[in-house]
Amino acid sequence: MVQHRLPMLPSAGEVPWAASVNGVEKQLNIEGNAILLDVLRDQAGSLGTKRGCDMGTCGCCTVLVDGQPRLSCLTLAAEADGAEITTVEGLADGHHLHPIQEMFAECGGSQCGFCTPGFLVVCSALLEENPSPSDDEIKCAIEGNLCRCTGYQQIVDSVRAASEILTSGRGVGDSTAPKSDPHPGFAGE
Amino acid sequence: MADSDENSAADKNEDEMVGYRQQPGKLPFAKPGSGGKDRFSRPTDDAMIPESQGGQKAQPWGPHRHDGLVSGQVIGKPTALVDSRWKVTGQAHYGDDVRLAGELIGRIIRSPHHYARVLSIDCSKALELPGVVAIATGADAANKFGVLPVTKDEHAMAVEKARHAGDLVACVAAEDEATAREAERLIEVEYEILDSIHDMRDGLEDSENPIHDRGRYHIGEANVQKRVFQEFGDIDGMASSAVASHKQNWLFAGVNHAATEPHAVVAHWDPSGRLTLYTPQQVPHYVHRALADVLEVPMHQINVHRTFVGGGFGGKSDPFPHEMCAAILARKSGRPVRICFDREEVYWINRGRHPSRIEMNLHADDEGRICGIETDALIDGGAFASFGHVTTYYNGVLHTAPYEIGAFHYTGARVWTNKPASGAMRGHGAVNSRCAVETGLDDLAEQLSVDPITLRLANLLPPHSATITGFRVTSIGMRECLERVKEASGWDEKFRKMPLGKGIGIGCGFFISGSGLPIHWDPNKFPHATVHLKIDMDGGVTVHTGAADIGQGSDTVVAQSVAEVLGLPLDMIRVKSRDSDTSPVDLGSYSSRVTFMNANAAISAAMQIRDELLDATAEITGADRTKLVIGDRRIFAKNDPAVGVSYLEALHKAQEDRGALVASGAYRTPPMGRTHKGAAAGLAPAYSFSAYVAEVSVDVETGQTKVEKVWAAHDCGKALNPLSVKGQIIGSCHMGMGQVLSEEMRYGRSGHLMNPDLLDYKIPSVHEMPEVVPIIVESNDPEGPFGAKEAGEGPLLPILPAVCNAVYDAVGVRTAELPITPDRMHKLIEKKCKSSGVKDPLDLSAPRLEHSALQDTLASRAAEHAERDLARRLDDDRQPYHNGALFGLDPTIPPDEVDERWAVNVIPSEEYLASPRLAGSAWKHTERRHRGDA
Ligand code: FES
Ligand code: FES
Repeated sequence: MVQHRLPMLPSAGEVPWAASVNGVEKQLNIEGNAILLDVLRDQAGSLGTKRGCDMGTCGCCTVLVDGQPRLSCLTLAAEADGAEITTVEGLADGHHLHPIQEMFAECGGSQCGFCTPGFLVVCSALLEENPSPSDDEIKCAIEGNLCRCTGYQQIVDSVRAASEILTSGRGVGDSTAPKSDPHPGFAGE
Repeated sequence: MADSDENSAADKNEDEMVGYRQQPGKLPFAKPGSGGKDRFSRPTDDAMIPESQGGQKAQPWGPHRHDGLVSGQVIGKPTALVDSRWKVTGQAHYGDDVRLAGELIGRIIRSPHHYARVLSIDCSKALELPGVVAIATGADAANKFGVLPVTKDEHAMAVEKARHAGDLVACVAAEDEATAREAERLIEVEYEILDSIHDMRDGLEDSENPIHDRGRYHIGEANVQKRVFQEFGDIDGMASSAVASHKQNWLFAGVNHAATEPHAVVAHWDPSGRLTLYTPQQVPHYVHRALADVLEVPMHQINVHRTFVGGGFGGKSDPFPHEMCAAILARKSGRPVRICFDREEVYWINRGRHPSRIEMNLHADDEGRICGIETDALIDGGAFASFGHVTTYYNGVLHTAPYEIGAFHYTGARVWTNKPASGAMRGHGAVNSRCAVETGLDDLAEQLSVDPITLRLANLLPPHSATITGFRVTSIGMRECLERVKEASGWDEKFRKMPLGKGIGIGCGFFISGSGLPIHWDPNKFPHATVHLKIDMDGGVTVHTGAADIGQGSDTVVAQSVAEVLGLPLDMIRVKSRDSDTSPVDLGSYSSRVTFMNANAAISAAMQIRDELLDATAEITGADRTKLVIGDRRIFAKNDPAVGVSYLEALHKAQEDRGALVASGAYRTPPMGRTHKGAAAGLAPAYSFSAYVAEVSVDVETGQTKVEKVWAAHDCGKALNPLSVKGQIIGSCHMGMGQVLSEEMRYGRSGHLMNPDLLDYKIPSVHEMPEVVPIIVESNDPEGPFGAKEAGEGPLLPILPAVCNAVYDAVGVRTAELPITPDRMHKLIEKKCKSSGVKDPLDLSAPRLEHSALQDTLASRAAEHAERDLARRLDDDRQPYHNGALFGLDPTIPPDEVDERWAVNVIPSEEYLASPRLAGSAWKHTERRHRGDA
């Protein structure tokens, strides 16, 4: 409880920090003891990376550090100094979503969506390594991520569907492509 | 088209169109707003059009009043959530993602004591800390609030007493989080510790210091917040005609919603002096009201902005004290204030499912009829009332269906204790007692030596009937649910036939699809839901709704409904549901009301626009308006689709001289129900039904239980979006499975919550999840939008009893305490070994079933009833059917009007009070006003 909470650690003083976040070189001054999740959300502008528990139990904060999934709430920012960091914002290619994103949307992998960024980065790393994982491999990859909405089944479905897209080499459409014409012609019988 | 050839030929001649026959091909002229993909209207897909409209969509449950509105666009097709692309790109902004320039960080100072008088608060040290901008305490907010107008018992911060560990005492806003946390430590609060209560049974007794004082309405000097006594049916006959009786005393642990997003809020008073509160809320409208009360400003001075909601499940449906705190701090400091909870704080605010002690008694007579249900439910409300008034009723009245019963006796009480408050959680009030009823039925079947599914099938209420409590039940898909899970699971080959440690079990559910009485029913005539539509020159449809999308997909359903009626693809619909400034009032995402009520409102708004489009088309084409139909972005003559105009053409015609089309649609429930005290609790315009079969394995040596597979049939009326319905069913299984196997808010000996985190509060991970086979049953509800009912909460109910019953099938032990953790299971198995005289649990034998003669009686009654039900659901002139017919009463008259033994009673008799059950003992106290006290 409140009264027993450890006093804040004394500030370690600011240190320079540089990393590539979603392909953009960031040069920041951070507290020496700063947590990666805080730096990403509060300083690097990645609000897509979510905080669900701050203690490594939910997986919402997962990001890729040099391609490997890491719980950013348990990672000192200093550990990621100089690394290449990918968050959920870095998965899409402009307006072309990553197949895993597209399929989470299409197959019900995301309900409230709060756990989604964590699942997405984990699954994108999985598919990077293993483009056609079995259901068991998918389950093992996402075992550290909690989802309270979906019961995981449609998440596994989504990953499977994404894997099909990836292995078939099909791409995902441009979301800015023109939408339906409100003034269509008559197609005939 | 189903018209015979002759007819359509005749029609053609009569309505021979001149001048507006369109050749196949792109329209030669462009209009402002035209262009884009899919330049030809898709021919109407007959497979999506109901039989009643001449299409091929089978309607085994008969036609529906919305059939004529079906254009074959999106209803019934698996549809991605309209906001999912925000979510998968990280651009969905939840509570803590709202960042305003100049924001301060707020933190809450919480009581470390379970129950204490706040003597003084010294903020001086904290205020000296550089970076601290504002501090507020209970003195800054004197007014009470609460989600139910009848039980407002919360303050923004403790005014006199802190009522549970974690209760809010003060709050601080500072330049950054580190400073705010440091200030938290520096605020010195002096407490006088009071005797706290933790065991809900103590709440029934008189206390020197009741947790709340309700003045003249207080019940004795006790901590009883609400008590209910209800008797229906032939109570005396119940015991005398029983040949089998079941009794079980249940203890259900409290569980938390554990939504992945911790609560967060941002408050900002803008330069014009208006407050905008950004909050992930299920029920923005009640927050709106509560803020006005607490801040003492009129409601129009407040805009409640609902952010994306990272899971609700009932846990974000109360107006919360931290929301008040943010607004107060922002007002004091003149800057935006953001508060984001630590996971631990989510448990302090709680509102999870009530810890409960339920005594369940069931009786069956020699014909296998359920001649009585007696329920006594004591529920632990924690420190505040929250939704508890309603929960107390729901623990009883929501298990008076789907079965026809001879008598129903319910005593319920909710007590205040010094724990984080319980409230509404998915399956509100119905989950625990449903578990007790369904496991009881399993036991009755065992005693009668009949199959539990047959027992259920032979005791179902028919469609369009009234329950013993007088609820009007319309569509019922219960029988289909049972039959389909029975078939899919291979029940007959497995039940009571599997080896030790493997088992299969059945459980059913019944839930409201929207509460019939809104919480705020003043003034009486407000609709439950209102939807506004606006369509300007561009042809896109803007939907304004106050319904809160909390991930369940309500934005999608409302967009689908509008798209269907107007014959438009979903990409032309945009839903604006965030700001109370622009959204019509909606009562919120609770009691599974949104699809039913909001989609109905949306349909009625869209029908107005549709009318205008049809008028315009008739005017342009000169065609007979009654023969016009809407298809894919085109309006045309049904018998001659070449005669017609594009949607945009009709729209622009309709807009002549007036500009944008606007429409407002609303939904209100019809008058229903009876008049006894509490009759409104549990009333709903429709009810959902479900039946699950769970297959489990129990390791008899370690007590570890694993759910292997679940067949989950749910009657949602009509699956508007089957993808979401399945998602809700599977997600409900997840949550229910957590409650039955691993989730529990554990309180230590001193009453302290021991597991306020996701490490020790165990929600199932992907490895614990069984394969779930969702089975959608569509009973086509007459009042639901396109036939739909709820699918968000009801699907949770059956999983608990299905698992408990499967555990019995596997090892022959009945649990009466949830969750069934391995240690509890192990103890039960040990006991069973002792009682059956075996040393090694592996030598235990699993229960077996030899059918008695009653089985055939029940099976033939079930078959008769199946025919009865089919006839009723297709008959428009059906006679009324009141619960009691199975017991020989005239089904067309409410039984209490013909037989005085069936009279409703809501006041306990002297005789009952002489030896009340546990919760019933709440009636031993006299309300102060009845004692003559002030
Ligand atoms: S926030 Fe990092 S695991 Fe929960
Ligand atoms: S979608 Fe809500 S927690 Fe996973």
